[in-house]
Amino acid sequence: MADTVLPRVWLMRALYLGLSGLLAFVHLLPLDTMPPGWAGPNIFLALTFAWAVRRPDYVPVLLVALVALGTDLLLQRPPGLWAAITVLGLETLRNRAFSLRDLTFAAEWAAVSSTLVVMTLAYRFILTILMVDQAPLGLSLMQLFATLLAYPLVALLSHAVFGVRKRAPGDLDTAAGRA
Amino acid sequence: MANDRGQSEDYSGPLKRLLLGVILLCLLGLFLLWRIDSPRVERFRAQVVDRVVPSFDWAMAPVTGAVNILRDFQSYQRMYQQNQDLRRELQQMKAWKEAALQLEQENARLLDLNNVQLDPRLTYITGVVMADSGSPFRQSVLINVGSRDGIMDGWAAMDGLGLVGRISGVGRHTARVILLTDTSSRIPVTLQPSGQRALIIGDNSIAPLVDFIETPDQVRPGDRVLTSGDGGVFPAGLLVGQLAEDPGGRMRVRIAADYERLEFLRVLRSYATEDIDAPGDLISPSSLPDAQPLDPAIAAEASNG
Repeated sequence: MADTVLPRVWLMRALYLGLSGLLAFVHLLPLDTMPPGWAGPNIFLALTFAWAVRRPDYVPVLLVALVALGTDLLLQRPPGLWAAITVLGLETLRNRAFSLRDLTFAAEWAAVSSTLVVMTLAYRFILTILMVDQAPLGLSLMQLFATLLAYPLVALLSHAVFGVRKRAPGDLDTAAGRA
Repeated sequence: MANDRGQSEDYSGPLKRLLLGVILLCLLGLFLLWRIDSPRVERFRAQVVDRVVPSFDWAMAPVTGAVNILRDFQSYQRMYQQNQDLRRELQQMKAWKEAALQLEQENARLLDLNNVQLDPRLTYITGVVMADSGSPFRQSVLINVGSRDGIMDGWAAMDGLGLVGRISGVGRHTARVILLTDTSSRIPVTLQPSGQRALIIGDNSIAPLVDFIETPDQVRPGDRVLTSGDGGVFPAGLLVGQLAEDPGGRMRVRIAADYERLEFLRVLRSYATEDIDAPGDLISPSSLPDAQPLDPAIAAEASNG
């Protein structure tokens, strides 16, 4: 399945970068300047994790770290902290990707959920210790649950549209990509 | 254990682990630096935004326009209802217009009598909203004027009617306006007619909290909220909104500016007011005559006068 011009891995990495840029762009559109009573899902995070569980080589650490730092800067979050936590979560999932490969989707969802919960708690904990102004707890929790609910959808889309599938034994495309 | 071998080959070589460590160190270091020396990092952020967002602008404007057209189209369905409402409001407006004209004439007469000088430096620059904060936790907008147009941190931004927020973060072509509803927004205000001083505290809701009222008994819902100019933050007397009481019994302000449609913002030029920091000096002529005999002519003139 290797592409003739570019290895498929690099195509998918570029696609990941493009999707992240698109998400940031949609977030920045000045459509609604009212303070919302609800918080939507963090699609970028769901996308990153869905790809990390399926094909860890599509989301290299450096790329995710740079994109997450950029989002931190653009979306007015404290710069660096959420990016660092995202990278840690990514590595946790990446290390579990091999054991998750043979399990059902429910197991994968549970793994991602637990990682997300720990990440959110750690983020709020660190901000509290350093006495940084933070968002209301309700909104954070709402965003967490929205992300958890959106995860299966993002995973399905990645699987069906972008062709991000778990590596089957005897699959040769990454070997070809590396060569 | 073929899996484990593959894993160690692919993902946890010492080099990868080193890279991960360096990345984490950089990110956390940046965060700590931000916590210690926030203004410097925020300036860096403003520069990044200044570089990135205007390059999105060519796509942002049409997409925003298209979505707004769609929304307007939905509102056609309620056109009859709106027409009725508008007619009724127009009727009321006519009455108000009459009253306003009379007041304007009276005001002009009174100003003339008093010979009031309005501050000539209170002029404004108008900017267009380019982007919002992009997250539900932060309430701010980005406008397309920046240090190139002379914008400075701390200036007040208004829409046509009331205060919207203050400038915080200036790039060369862009500036960020922290809205009154942001959790980090604190604005000193005066409540009229009682003249009580208070603070408006943003809490991520559309109606920010009013706290630290000196004598809460003297204020009631419906009072006008104006900026007080305390601390030299803003010019005094900008309209913020009306006081209202929430079901919990706390005072909130209903903001006069139309937060649903922030399109054009006026940034008021307000240079810092001069402080009086020294006690009064003796008033003396700037050049005292030296200790020499008086000129007879001047002495004679003085005795005449």
